[in-house]
Order: sequence, then structure tokens, then C-alpha cells
Amino acid sequence: MMKKVAFLSATVAMLILSGCSSKEPAIDATANVNGTSVGTNGAGSNAVIAPVTNANANDSANAGANGVNGSDGQLVSILFDYDKFDIRADMQDAMTKNALLVKSKSIKLEGNCDEFGSDEYNFALGLKRANAVKSALVNSGVNADAISMSSLGESNPVCLEKTQECWAKNRRVDFKLP
Amino acid sequence: MKIILIFLTLIHLSWGADATLEVVKGVEGLSPLAIEDSSLQTSELSRKFTQMLAADMNVVSLFSVDESYASVPFNSLTTSPLHKEAQYLLRYRLLDDGAGGTRADIKLLQNGNELFQKSYILKQSEMAVFLSHSIAYDINAKLGGTPIDWIKRKVLFVRLTSPRHSEIVVSDYTLSYQKVILTGGMYGFAKWANREQSELYYTSLADFKPTIYRMNLQSGKKEKIISSDGMAVCSDVSEDSKNLLLTLAPNGQPDVYLYDLTSGTKTQITNYSGIDVNGQFMGDGSIAFVSNRLGYPNVFSTRVNSSAVSQLVYQGKNNSSLSAYKNLLVYKARETSATFAGNAFNLHLLSLNTGNVKRLTASGENDFPKFSPDGEAILYIKQEGPRSSIGVIRFGVNKSFVFPLRIGRIQSIDW
Repeated sequence: MMKKVAFLSATVAMLILSGCSSKEPAIDATANVNGTSVGTNGAGSNAVIAPVTNANANDSANAGANGVNGSDGQLVSILFDYDKFDIRADMQDAMTKNALLVKSKSIKLEGNCDEFGSDEYNFALGLKRANAVKSALVNSGVNADAISMSSLGESNPVCLEKTQECWAKNRRVDFKLP
Repeated sequence: MKIILIFLTLIHLSWGADATLEVVKGVEGLSPLAIEDSSLQTSELSRKFTQMLAADMNVVSLFSVDESYASVPFNSLTTSPLHKEAQYLLRYRLLDDGAGGTRADIKLLQNGNELFQKSYILKQSEMAVFLSHSIAYDINAKLGGTPIDWIKRKVLFVRLTSPRHSEIVVSDYTLSYQKVILTGGMYGFAKWANREQSELYYTSLADFKPTIYRMNLQSGKKEKIISSDGMAVCSDVSEDSKNLLLTLAPNGQPDVYLYDLTSGTKTQITNYSGIDVNGQFMGDGSIAFVSNRLGYPNVFSTRVNSSAVSQLVYQGKNNSSLSAYKNLLVYKARETSATFAGNAFNLHLLSLNTGNVKRLTASGENDFPKFSPDGEAILYIKQEGPRSSIGVIRFGVNKSFVFPLRIGRIQSIDW
């Protein structure tokens, strides 16, 4: 009798444990399988009270929405690979020209990212890109104290389309003159 | 035999106490609830109030909510013909309080018997959705539901409106109420400065150096806290609001710093030549953060004045943001090695007590997870193409809700 109870208990324990270790997602944020509502006022309309301001659809900052160079003057923005902050071989010529143009000037380097992730890590990636450009400039003889840096994360895209080419243009460091 | 049974019970209880493994009743067991407008003079607001309450009662997750509108006198003994199946009835009447505000009387009936009655005063009609949230909170508390203190909190987010332009917005968790509190600049990483939500921190990216400011919501007064070349972010605020975890990069290297608001001193917590960001206070006094020290972003922990670093997450190869509540972590993980198309960023909940991991989202780009102050829910950003939504996950009751933002893209979020 005791053996039977022990066997039964062990089986129950295995069932409990195997049930708990399911790999299936317990919650699906997109499916709303339980029939929960989206928004208080139906999907697509969350304006019981309308937003106070609208997007600046006609803002002049949108002029570069197709991917123009984000740097000032004749300076050229340096592009980077996805999730990388080392200067690519095909950007070395541009770096050399930029270094000559900024040699006796103060310069601000703005690191930028594509739209995948608005978290701190993405901002840090933008900063590391700016820092890589700063190191290259210093190695070319530019005074380190004349260089400041800022990471703008995903908040300053020069290209707003949803394409690989566009995202590649946004992963960049811009040279800004004071 | 008794020993075996006790052993099994202990196993079951210890696993059941783990938030990542909680087993929850399905929707089929929920009681039907209907909502009735008992306002003497129905209005656009009173009719919309049914929708607000229905949305909130769905989130409460104790009922199967009938969202049909009906107007029925407050003390009527009969229900609307539409609501004959309802076991629970929530009636409300909105009336002028004589002082420029709105008075709301509500009652909850179960099979005709009154369970709960309360009156509220709403001073600003545009805040009506917060009244609905308060009613939902009170009914949930009355019926002994899982705590939902977060439902009454204000959500703070940064909305990108166009390149180099953003604004800071205060809203409710459904985005029904939205108020822009700062615009005309380039902002990021807005975060509540205290539990009372009377002040906030944010980063101004338009300054010569990224600068963290504190702003009082009532007076609008702004005070500079600290600036840093490259990056300055307020990542977390301690429970007593006296200490901050910041990401600063004075030499171009992003590291985590502890900032004592009383003395104005900062202590460097991490020191690594790669990326260390997103510091979070943990329940045991340690600090969790994201680092790429193993060649990819992952979650680690350390302590003040200690160089020892421990890896906290052993799953996924790209875990680049996190939020912590006591011994729970929620983190974002990239699911595939594909760079873009079809890529998925999903949220995972890790119990540091047991090591168990539960995936919270199934697909899409899910970012910026943030525990509520009571640890009962997780707020996050869901990006779908150009559209951002705010998501709320009640992991304790296996429910999630998504509320789309009509205009702009959300950069950061807090509550």
C-alpha cells in the first residue's frame, strides 16, 4: 500500500513539474486571445481626449527624409554596420577628408542609430560610433579638446522609409559645426 | 505517507509562489457584468463613460464584460432588456456637483443585491478616464482581485514627432488622456522623480552636452541635475527618491553611476571599455545593468564599491534592456540573428529565486519594459511599423493589453 502511494505521489510530482516547464508563451501581447479590448474607444482611436499637439508634418527638419547627408558644410557623415561601432574600410577616405576640414575647428560629433530599439543600449551604440570617429580624428592630429559628442539614438533619422538602405543611412555619425 | 504528501504540498506551494509560474483561471469561468448609465441627463461624456468603464473592467479581469450601452435609473429594480444575462451590474450617474465639477455615484449589484456603493468628485472633465480607473480599482479591491494600484498611475512618455523634435507627454495607461508637458526641444528618457509623480527627470539632447533636468509638474520649474559629454540618462530612481542610477559617459565610455541627490555626489559603479547602461536597483541592494562585456548585450549585476560582476541572464544572445522589481527581472531579447525583416524583440520575465524564465510576448518589436511600482504589471512599448503602442502585461493573471498611439513614435516610457 505504502509503495503504491509513493509511486502515485511521484507520478503526480512529475506531472506538476513537467506542466510548469512548458516552453509555450504564456501571454501573447498581440493576440489578445482572451477578448480583451484595445483602447477605451476601439482600435485605432485612443482619443477620448485628443492629443494636445500634432506631429510637425511640415517641419523643415523633415527635408532630409530621403537620406541626405546629415553633416554640416562639406563634411560627410560616416556610416556604420548594424550593431557595430568600428569604422568601415569604405569610410576611411571620407574620414581622411573630414579630418583635414576640421583640423583647426571645434566640432560636435552626433552619433545616430536606426530605429530598432529606443533603449539606452541603442543610444550607447550611437555614442560608441561617435567615439570611434573622435579617436580617428585625434589620431589624424585633431585636438581632442575641440571635439564634443552627443548620441541622439533613433531620434534624428535622415531617412524615414522602411528599407534596409534607409536604415543603413541612419546608422551614422554627423559632423556639426558650432 | 504523510511525509510524502507534505513534501508534495511544499513543492507545489514553492512553485506556486513564483510569479513566473502562477496558474490562472481562464476567461470561461468569469461572471457576466453589464454597465448602465443612470445619469439624469445623459450626455456625450456619460455615454463615453460606459466605454471607459468597460475597458477598465476588462483589464480588471474578474468579469466577462458586456459593452452594450443602456440608460437605466440608478435605483431601478430591473435591468435593461439588453442586460438580462448579467450577473453583475455596474451603475453610474454623473451629475453637476455645483462647484464646477462632476459628481459620480456608482453602485455594483450582484443578482440585484448591492455589493458596493461610492461617490466621487471629478474636478476636471478631461480627466474622466482617471475616474473610471479609480472606480475599477475600488471594485477590484472590494472583490479581492489581484492588486492593481498601477491602474491609477500616470504614464510618462517621450514622443518623437519628427527628426530632432520630441515632446514629453503625461497620459493614463490607456492613452485616452494625453497632455503634452514639454515641447519644442529634443528630449529623451523621461522618468518620474518620486512615487507621488509630482516631478520628473528627463534628458535634453538639444543642449551642447546631453543634460539631465528635474522638472516640477505643477510649477513647471526646471533644475539642471548633471550633464555629460556623449550621453546622460536617468535610468532608475530609488524607492525613497534619494538616489539615482545614471548612465554617463564623461570620456566617451558609457558607464553606470550612482548619484546621491542629497550630497550631489556621484559614484562610478561600472568601469568597462565597452557599453554599460540601464542600471536598475534590485531588491537585495545590488544593481542590475546591461553590458556588452561578453561581446553581445546581456544583463549583469554588481554592487556599490565592488568590482565583482555576475551574469544574471543565461538565455538569448541580445538582451539589451531591462527593468527590475525585487527578485524579478524583465528583459528584452532579440529572437533571431536576422538583422531586420521578420526580426522579433520579445520580453521575458526571469525569477532570480528559481531561475525560471517566462516569455511574455510572442512576436513583434517589444521594447522598454518597466515594472509598476508594486511589481504587479509591466508597461512596455510595442512598435509596429511607424506606429507605437503602449502595452500592459499583468503577468500574475496571464493577461496583456495594447493601446495604440495615434500620432508619433514612443521613445521611452515610465509609470
